[in-house]
Amino acid sequence: MSNNRVSRRQFLNYTLTGVGGFMAAGMLMPMVRFAIDPVLQKSEGGDFVPTDKKVAELTEVPVRVDFSYEQTDAWYVHDVTSFAWVYKEGDRIVALSPVCKHLGCTVSWAGSPDYPDQFFCPCHAGRYLKNGDNVQGTPPLGPLDEFEVQVKDGLLQIGKTRPNTLV
Amino acid sequence: MYWNSKDMSVFLEQQEYIDTAVVPLLLVDGQASKLKQNASSVEFIMALTAFIENQFKGRVVLIPPVTYTQRTNREQLGTEWDEMLKEAGFKHLFFISSDMRWGTESSSLDVIYTPSIPLEHMDKKLRQSVLDDQLRQIIPVFAKRWANSTK
Repeated sequence: MSNNRVSRRQFLNYTLTGVGGFMAAGMLMPMVRFAIDPVLQKSEGGDFVPTDKKVAELTEVPVRVDFSYEQTDAWYVHDVTSFAWVYKEGDRIVALSPVCKHLGCTVSWAGSPDYPDQFFCPCHAGRYLKNGDNVQGTPPLGPLDEFEVQVKDGLLQIGKTRPNTLV
Repeated sequence: MYWNSKDMSVFLEQQEYIDTAVVPLLLVDGQASKLKQNASSVEFIMALTAFIENQFKGRVVLIPPVTYTQRTNREQLGTEWDEMLKEAGFKHLFFISSDMRWGTESSSLDVIYTPSIPLEHMDKKLRQSVLDDQLRQIIPVFAKRWANSTK
């Protein structure tokens, strides 16, 4: 080991390569970072929000299940409280968004005495079947959105909305 | 709908469906003795009208709150807003206030009076349920006026 001496030339080579390498890395890193940025983006709202609804309590009749999550509006973070209409169809749990596809009012299950087994929008009398399908001849043009659901410790968790898969 | 440019562009396209304006009437009183209570009732009406907006998003426009002081000529203020909003094309106007004087005076305005509930000491859940209850009392008022006009 002791006779394996590092010459001045070798020392300078190593040092320059090392320093040069760091400098190159310093320049390339941000470029690579920008290039793959979309991959690194955190997907917001992709997580499931816990509710305090026991899955065992769900029946075939849609019930209102409240949940709240944080929303960032530019610099302003606030809690948004929302809810879903949840019912069981066989073993499957269905959670429908209460937002009317017409102009965004809140629909309610059995909201109109004339249609006790449909969702009803009080604004313009839009109606949806239990599976969220819009009733022809009423203002809404599409079915209600559906929430992704999962069950954890017997409690319901609500995820992202997606286009209705039941219709 | 809120009174912002994004919602207003929808409003302009869908004016046949969006025919109702909700106007919060807020008394602002800076007297030290009334300040806290006043602020609390303003907070309540703002929260309640936001709830109404959320429920009836596709039919109502929540107008920016109309504020006034003890000295304001309420009769004139009301008439001005009433006329302006009718000219803007709104068929139904819902004025909402926790100032009792709107109801007692012989005002041409039909103000929905709602007693103010102090929300500041409530936690989020209680707040939500209190406002839900209030909203449930107001829904029939809306439904009734809407139904009357279609007949």
